[in-house]
Amino acid sequence: MIAFQFVTAFLMIFMGLYAFLYKRNLIKLVLALNLVDAGIHLLLISLGYRLENGLLPTAPIYTGYETLKGTPMVGPIPQALVLTSIVIGVCVLSLAMALTINAYQHYETLDVSKLRRLRG
Amino acid sequence: MRPQNSDMGLIVKTMARATIPLIGIFGAYVIAHGHITPGGGFQGGATIAGAGVLFLVAFGLSEAKEKINKNFYSVLEGIGGLVFLAAGMLGLGVVFFYNVLWHKGPVFNGEAGTLLSAGYLPIMNLAVGLKVYTGLVSALFAIALFRRWKK
Amino acid sequence: MKTTFGALSLIFILGVLLVVANPNYGLKFGLGGEDWEEYRYTDQYYIEHGVKEVGGTNIVTDIVFDYRGYDTLGEATVLFTSIAGAVALLRKWRGEK
Repeated sequence: MIAFQFVTAFLMIFMGLYAFLYKRNLIKLVLALNLVDAGIHLLLISLGYRLENGLLPTAPIYTGYETLKGTPMVGPIPQALVLTSIVIGVCVLSLAMALTINAYQHYETLDVSKLRRLRG
Repeated sequence: MRPQNSDMGLIVKTMARATIPLIGIFGAYVIAHGHITPGGGFQGGATIAGAGVLFLVAFGLSEAKEKINKNFYSVLEGIGGLVFLAAGMLGLGVVFFYNVLWHKGPVFNGEAGTLLSAGYLPIMNLAVGLKVYTGLVSALFAIALFRRWKK
Repeated sequence: MKTTFGALSLIFILGVLLVVANPNYGLKFGLGGEDWEEYRYTDQYYIEHGVKEVGGTNIVTDIVFDYRGYDTLGEATVLFTSIAGAVALLRKWRGEK
């Protein structure tokens, strides 16, 4: 049995690392950092799954519909950590975009290999 | 070439007038019922920020400059953070984040599963939702207003 | 020389990660029964005692705001600092109209 969740998460991390090392446009580098973040979040959430002798689990919320005694619940701790991490990823993206806009206004090009002139 | 401060046409503006209040009501439902259904502060705040960005894109920059006041949004973001911190300091007699309102409080003391339950959780949900919405709309409005391009 | 070395190391990292994803000797997908009681006893405690101690039926929300509320305080600080930094970088300078 191949666990497709882990393979997809590792492929996304690999694609993000490849784009970060081999591309030269600044906006592509910033988007590649976000792709690595998405892969790590998928890996963390799929580590909390739970199978108890053949019964499929449900989400960790107590609705009023628990009729089958012994229906297990998915572990809620990785979901809480990933919620915080998503917000931090958005904040890093907004700061990186502000820096990219300032760099384009100063150098007039978005190529990383041409940003080598220091002033002063 | 389209000038900088133009809007997006008549069809998009009519549809935006219809869907912005619906997105706002759905986002308020997701924030307020954070302790009963899936959702909470961060998710509802991001949903209402989607309505704000739809307003900014569909109606152009010159109409958004009259409606959005930058200093007012800054003050609201600070108030959201301070209300979150004050709700954590209510039970400082025992530990730092102690849930006083659920154990022996006046209002949020009902049965588990109703709207007025679970201590300080509804207060924190509203504070965090307000903070996320004002922060995201301020950042995107600042990107749209950038005018320092060299000629 | 340097580009081939970089490409070979990336492919080696991908190979190691795909070996780790194999359920026979690596990450296991879907614990249950005894392994759950041995390795994830904190999750079991939060599921059993969450409604009685906090009062909300959504277990994830009352982990984020009550059991681990200090991390949410740190995250609110990060949000405030980054939005303040991004708005301050995109402001008008002094000698402009």
